[in-house]
Amino acid sequence: MIALNRIFLLLALPVALFAGWWFASAGSTDFYVPPLATILAAFDDTWFGPRLTTDVLPSMGRLGLGYALALLAGVALGVAIGLRRALRALLEPVLEFLRAVPPPVLVPILMLFAGIGNGMKVLVIVSGCVWPVLLNTVEGVRAIDGVLADTCRSYRIGGRLRMWHLVLRSASPQIVTGARQALSVGIILMVISEMFAANSGLGFSIVQFQRGFQIPEMWSGVLLLGLLGVVLSLLFRIVEHRVLAWYHGIRAVERQR
Amino acid sequence: MTLGLGLAGLVGFAVLLELVPRLGLVSDQFLPPTSRILSTLADVVGEDRFWVALLDTLRTWALGLAIAVVAGVALGVMIGAVPVLRAATASTIEFLRPIPSVALIPLAVLLYGSTITSTLILVVYASFWQVLVQVLHGVADVDPVARDTARSYRLGQWATVRYLVWPTALPYAATGVRLAASVALILTITGELVIGSPGLGKEIAVAQESVAVPRMYALVLVTGLIGVAANLITRTAERRVLAWHPSVRQEVPA
Amino acid sequence: MRRNLAALLFATSLLAAACGSNTPAAPSTPGQPDKVAVGVIPILDVAPIYLGNQKGFFKNRNMELKLEPAQGGAAIVPAVVSGQYQFGVSNVVSLLLGQTRNVPVKIVCNGDNSTGVDGQDFAALMVKGDSPIKSPKQLAGKKVAANTLKNIVEPVVRESVRKDGGDPASVQFVELAFPQQPAALQSGQVDAVFVVEPFQQTVLAQGGRKIASSYVDAAPNLMVAGYFTSTQLLGQNPDLVKRFTEAMKESLAYADAHPDEARQIITTYTQIAPDVIAKMTLPKWPQEINRAALQKLADLALQDKLLEKPVDLNALLPS
Repeated sequence: MIALNRIFLLLALPVALFAGWWFASAGSTDFYVPPLATILAAFDDTWFGPRLTTDVLPSMGRLGLGYALALLAGVALGVAIGLRRALRALLEPVLEFLRAVPPPVLVPILMLFAGIGNGMKVLVIVSGCVWPVLLNTVEGVRAIDGVLADTCRSYRIGGRLRMWHLVLRSASPQIVTGARQALSVGIILMVISEMFAANSGLGFSIVQFQRGFQIPEMWSGVLLLGLLGVVLSLLFRIVEHRVLAWYHGIRAVERQR
Repeated sequence: MTLGLGLAGLVGFAVLLELVPRLGLVSDQFLPPTSRILSTLADVVGEDRFWVALLDTLRTWALGLAIAVVAGVALGVMIGAVPVLRAATASTIEFLRPIPSVALIPLAVLLYGSTITSTLILVVYASFWQVLVQVLHGVADVDPVARDTARSYRLGQWATVRYLVWPTALPYAATGVRLAASVALILTITGELVIGSPGLGKEIAVAQESVAVPRMYALVLVTGLIGVAANLITRTAERRVLAWHPSVRQEVPA
Repeated sequence: MRRNLAALLFATSLLAAACGSNTPAAPSTPGQPDKVAVGVIPILDVAPIYLGNQKGFFKNRNMELKLEPAQGGAAIVPAVVSGQYQFGVSNVVSLLLGQTRNVPVKIVCNGDNSTGVDGQDFAALMVKGDSPIKSPKQLAGKKVAANTLKNIVEPVVRESVRKDGGDPASVQFVELAFPQQPAALQSGQVDAVFVVEPFQQTVLAQGGRKIASSYVDAAPNLMVAGYFTSTQLLGQNPDLVKRFTEAMKESLAYADAHPDEARQIITTYTQIAPDVIAKMTLPKWPQEINRAALQKLADLALQDKLLEKPVDLNALLPS
């Protein structure tokens, strides 16, 4: 019964919106807003043919690699910066400066250093995903409970043990929030990175559809991106449940009181 | 001291940027040294069209951010406070979030042309999610003991939100606003670059197409400086508004 | 805390209120000149419309022109289709492609043409100075940068390779915006680039050399870009379209006859350095559309599978 309830909640709004879209666009003659039926018809042909292996999977691979690297770099830098006030003061303006440079401008600069191949595309994804992770890690590290920190000092817990059990674990809810945001940013950057010097990829295909006036196919690509986001976030939630089991556990116990 | 260190960091970066093209690591035709960029900037700042473009960019950015924050906070608190609503909207939010705002460009241009409104749509769409997600997290993080206390004291709906939900969510919301601010700036410039609505982004595009490389970098420098300034402002505001929160009151000793 | 928060909210709302919003161009009122918005790309090809506007050719025909620079056709075509702009400029291959997909637009007049002189065109296929590639047929299997795919670059470059005896289908095209092409060529990331002015000057300045004038290889006096409008506007206000076309033709003829003034006007809407402008090769600006060249280009595009079906030029060109 509860499971049914949950499934209903999960699907209710999307189904309603979908139906709304279907009926609202059914009679559309606007070239750029085709009926939903047309878009769905194009979906199957466009994405489940050879394009799956030539475009979609390589893009996912680059996204995965870029995301992983961003997580590593973001957490490592974030912990270092969060723990040392001086370092934060030193680096923050430079980081904010770099962050404010928009991707379409940054990519050409990155191309000068990283070429035009897969490396550049992964670098673009990293350059955008690292920020939410970094920022959230810094916040998480800054907000470590003072009592816990003092306890560690009393018990002379230092070095790697302290890093793992105090710093990382305390900051992990925030880090996970950052990682979650980085996921959405990553998908956006995957598309942007394929607008430069590309000749294959999911984002590339969508842009080419737009260029070639293949509008239903373009919309189907946008739908696919949305679906991708949903699937990835579901996967993320599964991983999160494992990593933050202790946190959810504490919260659940407190909530039930 | 903080300011001094920050400036030191920027200066160090500038020196790095001066050396890289001069040492021949990259051709100075494509990445001019800092000195050349700065001298071009001095020229650019003297032009009227630069200030007009700057004002346009700032206007779009501020307006987009304001709309996104207000909508994000309002919806976030509403949805977060009601578990049923949260469960019902979760999948929709997950679906809409990753759709890149760049994919909305044709739609925006279709409806509003190459005006500021199109870019505004892009900016609001992207920034809104940043704020919403953070606020949702914040609302969910309410201390259960405090919530029970509020219920014992029979605080009404409005009082609960004001005294319980809001302070808990505020740090999250502050991070959300800070993230949204930078996303909004990036999308403002991107929108202006790609759509061609008036602003710094459009100036950058014109410079690119005209092979005016130092000019392009000078404009990018301005963009970066706006980002730094924005971060300073949001951090100061955050520190004021969150003066009572442990993370601000006490830095963790290394 | 409450006070600070209130101040913050107040400041934000002030800021938001202070920002006026941009209203789209108001429809024309009788007695006033017609407001005409034209989507253009700020490149040398559109010098005639800027020049014509300056000379009053449009004002004379009761039109108040507003030139809206955009990044490319991707932004201009939707805006014209939706009526935000009354006219737009685009490269012809995009328009051919659009026609095969029933995009509701129609070309109203010529945009610009190739100079028709081999080695002296405003666009060229170029390689690095010390490149082993000496002629187009050696591009088989190599990477060529195109500023956008599904554009005029692919069919014309393939034709250059074909004419030189190489295998056109094996040429790989990589999409790379013009500003990034010189750097990519220099560092060897692409083997050749197809660039237009002013980027042609940039590549020449870094020691690059031309190996083909692909526009000339494709067809004599090839039409490269055209001005178009939506079929809706054509149906609603054919008089406006006619006046615009006449003003454009006058502008094209004037620009073609007065290249110095054309060069001068380019300085007003781009940031190209004056010494580069003086060296650039200008396109040709004939008044009439070269239909034969356009048909040849359409055939090439069809052959290279850029188009999926033949174009109906009658539907696209003015009658």
